[in-house]
Amino acid sequence: GQEQQTSNATTNTVEQQQSFKWKLVTSWPKNYPGLGTAPERFAENVEAMSNGRLKIKVYGAGELVPGFEVFDTVSSGTAEMGHSAAYYWKGKIPAAQFFTAIPFGMNAQEVNGWLHHGGGMELWKELYEPYNLIPAAGGNTGVQMAGWFKKEVNSVEDLKGLKMRIPGLGGEVLEKLGGVPLSLTGGEIFTALQTGAIDATEWVGPYNDLAFGLNKAAEFYYYSGWHEPGANLEFLINKEAYASLPSDLQAIVTSAMRTANQDMLDEYTARNNTALDQLKNKHNVKLRKFSPEVMQALKAATMEVISEQARNDEAVAKVWRSYSEFLQQVKAYHQISEMEYYSNR
Amino acid sequence: MAWFSFAMVLIMFLIVLLRYGFSLGWIAMQESVLYLHAYLFMLGCSYALKHDEHVRVDVFYRRFSKAKKAFVNLVGHLVLLWPVAIFILFVSFDYVAVSWQIKEQSQEAGGLPFVYLLKSLIPLMCILLLIQSLSEICKSLNALFNKGNA
Amino acid sequence: MEYMAILLFICVCVVLLIGFPVAFSLAGTALIFAGIGSLFGIFDGAFLHALPNRLFGIVTNSTLIAVPLFVFMGVMLEKSKVAENLLDAIAVVMGKRKAGMGIAVTLVGMLLAASTGIVGATVVTMGLLALPTMLKRGYSEQYSCGIITATGTLGQIIPPSIALVLLGDVLSSSYQQAQLNMGIFSPENVSVGDLFAGAVIPGIILVGLYILYSVFVAVFKPEQVPALLDEDIEHIKKRKQVSLFVALVPPLMLIFIVLGSILFGIATPTEAAGVGAFGAIVLAVWQKQFNLSNLNAVMQSTTKVTAMVFMILIGASLFSLVFRGFGGEELIAEMFEALPGGLFGAMLVVMLVMFLLGFILDFIEITFVVVPIVAPILLMMGADPIWLGIMIAVNLQTSFLTPPFGFALFYLRGVAPKSVLTSQIYKGVIPFIIIQLILLALMAAYPSLVTWLPSQLYA
Ligand code: NA
Ligand code: NA
Repeated sequence: GQEQQTSNATTNTVEQQQSFKWKLVTSWPKNYPGLGTAPERFAENVEAMSNGRLKIKVYGAGELVPGFEVFDTVSSGTAEMGHSAAYYWKGKIPAAQFFTAIPFGMNAQEVNGWLHHGGGMELWKELYEPYNLIPAAGGNTGVQMAGWFKKEVNSVEDLKGLKMRIPGLGGEVLEKLGGVPLSLTGGEIFTALQTGAIDATEWVGPYNDLAFGLNKAAEFYYYSGWHEPGANLEFLINKEAYASLPSDLQAIVTSAMRTANQDMLDEYTARNNTALDQLKNKHNVKLRKFSPEVMQALKAATMEVISEQARNDEAVAKVWRSYSEFLQQVKAYHQISEMEYYSNR
Repeated sequence: MAWFSFAMVLIMFLIVLLRYGFSLGWIAMQESVLYLHAYLFMLGCSYALKHDEHVRVDVFYRRFSKAKKAFVNLVGHLVLLWPVAIFILFVSFDYVAVSWQIKEQSQEAGGLPFVYLLKSLIPLMCILLLIQSLSEICKSLNALFNKGNA
Repeated sequence: MEYMAILLFICVCVVLLIGFPVAFSLAGTALIFAGIGSLFGIFDGAFLHALPNRLFGIVTNSTLIAVPLFVFMGVMLEKSKVAENLLDAIAVVMGKRKAGMGIAVTLVGMLLAASTGIVGATVVTMGLLALPTMLKRGYSEQYSCGIITATGTLGQIIPPSIALVLLGDVLSSSYQQAQLNMGIFSPENVSVGDLFAGAVIPGIILVGLYILYSVFVAVFKPEQVPALLDEDIEHIKKRKQVSLFVALVPPLMLIFIVLGSILFGIATPTEAAGVGAFGAIVLAVWQKQFNLSNLNAVMQSTTKVTAMVFMILIGASLFSLVFRGFGGEELIAEMFEALPGGLFGAMLVVMLVMFLLGFILDFIEITFVVVPIVAPILLMMGADPIWLGIMIAVNLQTSFLTPPFGFALFYLRGVAPKSVLTSQIYKGVIPFIIIQLILLALMAAYPSLVTWLPSQLYA
């Protein structure tokens, strides 16, 4: 830290001495693998990098406020930061859900490209501006699993009346096909599935699903996560709180968020495969793949849902234009790079 | 407002019937039960206050004279209820105002687009409690005053 | 800073005793403390600014939707005269044995408890119908009052029960918190359904113990529980409307639909409550008791009871927010760690404290104020959540019986003849309080009495 401090000539010494205590509220159970450890590590990082001048206390869902209240809590300044997922705020900002995941959309690598070097971040910031909030990418889960089902899904017909925990656009798509989507917070899922309040749920992937023991409440585990080909999570910062920081602390926060963003993907990449192995071999989970007929119906419904939303909301149309343009470009190259490589190795 | 409870029963029964009988369901219908439930107890608070239905620890209270009870209530309303109701009213103002401004909708696909009406219950409960409390304070003062005359 | 938490707790106790409604006493005292704390910079105001967000969490809590539905069901059932018909029909069959009326009361209480179980309604019905008959034939005041009051409280512990819904909601978040604190993200969740299943066997044991006690009295003090004479039976038959079979249909049907669908995981407690409430309406129509004035009465009392419960929840949530803001939770955890005897010692202390609190508070306050503070710690010490829940539920059920402030005692006092002395009612419940304690000891010694059924149902 010594070198950094001396090189930072523009910052005056009084500001440097000033220390800050922040609160960060999350939508996850405290220390939850991946989702919950990311903000925790972020806070540790910031404290270390700032030499203790910025201390951030992380609150799990329900500790200070319920998980779905993160946006409002940071917006009002009650907490300075939050860690959550943008699709939870679609009741306030319909376009927000495009910043978590779009069914049949981009994967983690591509989303990060779009956000940080393809104009995505600017659109996101613009969207949150009226709420006094600055968003940032807060980690990515990678391609998810389609979820846990109590009964097998063999046809589109089986989706009718299906009560499933599936937030965001995925939920809208399910509704199009006659299902009943719900968006419970993580902590509520297991009980809901066990008591029959829901018939199915998606959560994240093997690593997190195993942690919640979802295999004890439903038999069939479907892939692939058509609805969330990599959920991009978010950090939220209250704008005034951020402005009150000296520029070196601002830079520390920004780069620690970027580190956390990459680190989460690394963690999921390392853990998902061993967890899947355990689910298959130790817990005898029945792994299933959606039939092409079901996939096609989901995809068609997705396009319908998105074009409907783009018609009704200008912000959605704007974000979708940028997103889909980037997707077309990146797809063309990834077809002959990533995809080709996967099929050959 | 009491009719909300009856409506809840009917809608809940319909939901079960549709879900288990016909594999049908709508989030809006479920949320409507949630809304009715919320309206029932949030608005019911002042109604229960009026009928003195809020539980008391009446170890000593039971044996108090009318005047003493009136005094307890007078002080309780002013020192305990008023600050709470006013404080919640105060801190919830922005929270609810923003929700109205953006006409906040449900975060569920196919949910009810009236989250601001739900959030409004928080200040509304406080206002109704304050109004009812005012009437209780008058009753207490009356009881104390009449005792002096008797 | 922790001393503020202790001071807050003591002040709340004092303020509660003054007699202003519990909900506002909790919230008001906590708010004043938070204000003083902020003034001196030892309380983080953000805790209070998070209040609207937390209140909205209560407004949108979907587990608790079951509460007004179960209340509606219970009050509607009361209007449909199910209890009256049952009591008369069973009394005709059992009355001519010694202690027969006492056992009839217990059986009716059990059936009512398993169909819904509002303590006040059950005690009042029995007090009006069975008590005069029993006293006239020479049953002792003590025994009659004791069995009626105790039986009335069965509705608390035998599912479905509003007490268990509230407890289940609080415990499930406590359990989550406990496991996460321990770094365990897997699974063993506890739900309202689990508690319902866990309460079945202890509930049956309790009924068995009540009956056993009646038999014991019949053998050793037969003069206290004489048999009814033919003329008494004739008298009952005259007012009796229906046969035993017809009287049994409604409660058994409701037990089958409501309890059955919850225990076998077919429907959620909320869905089952909705169906049960609808079923109660159907029964009322069948008994020709469904009219506007009855419906109005049911709706109004549902509104008042629900609002009362949730106002306490709101007050308690403000209280625990401030208590936590002052570091009270850590303090309690440290105290428990300092106790000798590990989980057993901690459990003993908690049970004792709850039993004593039960003399002045009832289950709603204790569930919302005390359980969220102690449960996570006990669970972290290794207590099984379902076992803990039922231990608490039985303990709190006792609070309805403990003189001088047990609610069930008030209800009976309200309908008992003037000739019955209040002291006789108090003495009458003592054997039943001892029975409750025996059940607690049994469950402490054999936790599988609680945990076996849930493990079989939800394996
Ligand atoms: Na997901
Ligand atoms: Na019951």
